[in-house]
Amino acid sequence: MNDSSEKPVAKKKVFLLQGDRQRRQLIEEHPQAILVSENLPLRANLSVLENITVVLQFRTNTYIGEANDTAWKLLTQVGQTGCAEQRDPDLSYEERFVAKLLRAIVMSPPIILIDRPAQLLPDTNYPFFLNKLLLALDAHFEQCWILDYAWNAPLYSSRA
Amino acid sequence: MNALHTWLTLRGQGFSDRLNAWVRAFRFAITAIAGVLSPSTYNRATRLIVQKQIYFTAWQILPGFAAFAALFSILIIEIVSTTARTYGLYEYALELIVRILVLEILPLLTALFIALRTGAAINTEIALMKIQNELDALQRMGIDPLRLELLPRVIGGTISVLALTAVNIVIALWLTHLLMIDFHPWSLTPSDYTRMIGRVLDIPALVVLWLKTLAFGFAVTVIPIAEGLSTPQKLFYAPIAVLRGMVRLFFSLMLIEAAALAIVYV
Repeated sequence: MNDSSEKPVAKKKVFLLQGDRQRRQLIEEHPQAILVSENLPLRANLSVLENITVVLQFRTNTYIGEANDTAWKLLTQVGQTGCAEQRDPDLSYEERFVAKLLRAIVMSPPIILIDRPAQLLPDTNYPFFLNKLLLALDAHFEQCWILDYAWNAPLYSSRA
Repeated sequence: MNALHTWLTLRGQGFSDRLNAWVRAFRFAITAIAGVLSPSTYNRATRLIVQKQIYFTAWQILPGFAAFAALFSILIIEIVSTTARTYGLYEYALELIVRILVLEILPLLTALFIALRTGAAINTEIALMKIQNELDALQRMGIDPLRLELLPRVIGGTISVLALTAVNIVIALWLTHLLMIDFHPWSLTPSDYTRMIGRVLDIPALVVLWLKTLAFGFAVTVIPIAEGLSTPQKLFYAPIAVLRGMVRLFFSLMLIEAAALAIVYV
């Protein structure tokens, strides 16, 4: 991990919530936000690259080549081109998370909500990983809110 | 009395569940027809999935299935012509072959093959997508699953059934000519063949044939999708959904065939 991962991401905001009800309420209050969540899986029969391009193609009627280029550039930016042709069951937690995040980013939503990162990245020091990832993608999103529980606050103390 | 009440309640519940499943399939069929006819359904993403569906359903199996249909046709042509010759009815064999093989068996055989291969796959895929919440995930990404995932399968599957049936019919007609006219020139002449084709495959017969094939193609995709969509979000329901979908599909295909026969012969 390089030094840049220690820099704070200005567009990132961490919400440390008291419980599930508060989390649900926050999500419901922001319908314009796009969720990155364990409950919203990737399309299992599409590769990582296709999962990203299909969003672009469907929503903006982009040519397949153009959509592939955009998705490939994003994967290159986060150093995950190795998993581009893999499908969901073959992905590690980190690769799956990156795919879900990029699928949300290509929609250019006003807010990206990362819902309970501990569920998405169970084997990773996720505040550190998220900071590094969001720094690499800083130019591609407006705001990113991380919804986590208050009992995980110590994990963020020296990072965010 | 209690036992009778329980038995009646269970039977009634079962009947109601089956009726509801047919109603769901019928509703989805209407939604699918409206979607297929709507220009807003089509964009680059949906067209790509239609192409993929046609590739996997028709193109991938074309050589093997055409070879099977050819062998099957040869078998039927030989059985019918040999039997007809034995009874001195060879002049009727040609018409019999075209009516049985071209108008009835080949379209049904194609639909059954696509139902087993593609219908089962679509049913499983949609059931798993429903169980794993993938459809909801697409919706949350601003993608309409009906337009992206469901309608392209209906369009691609229907086109595939129509195309494969057409190919098989052409092969069967060519083989009929080859085996009954070219190999036995003393029995029937090429003009007999042309006259008979003109008489049997007239406009009403062709309209019924292609409407029936269209209905086969539509049923082969719509019923598995409707069954997949109604799967409860529990993994152990996946095989149950496929089983029910396949049984409903079989009955639907038989019903379409019976209706077409009734229109032509009753």
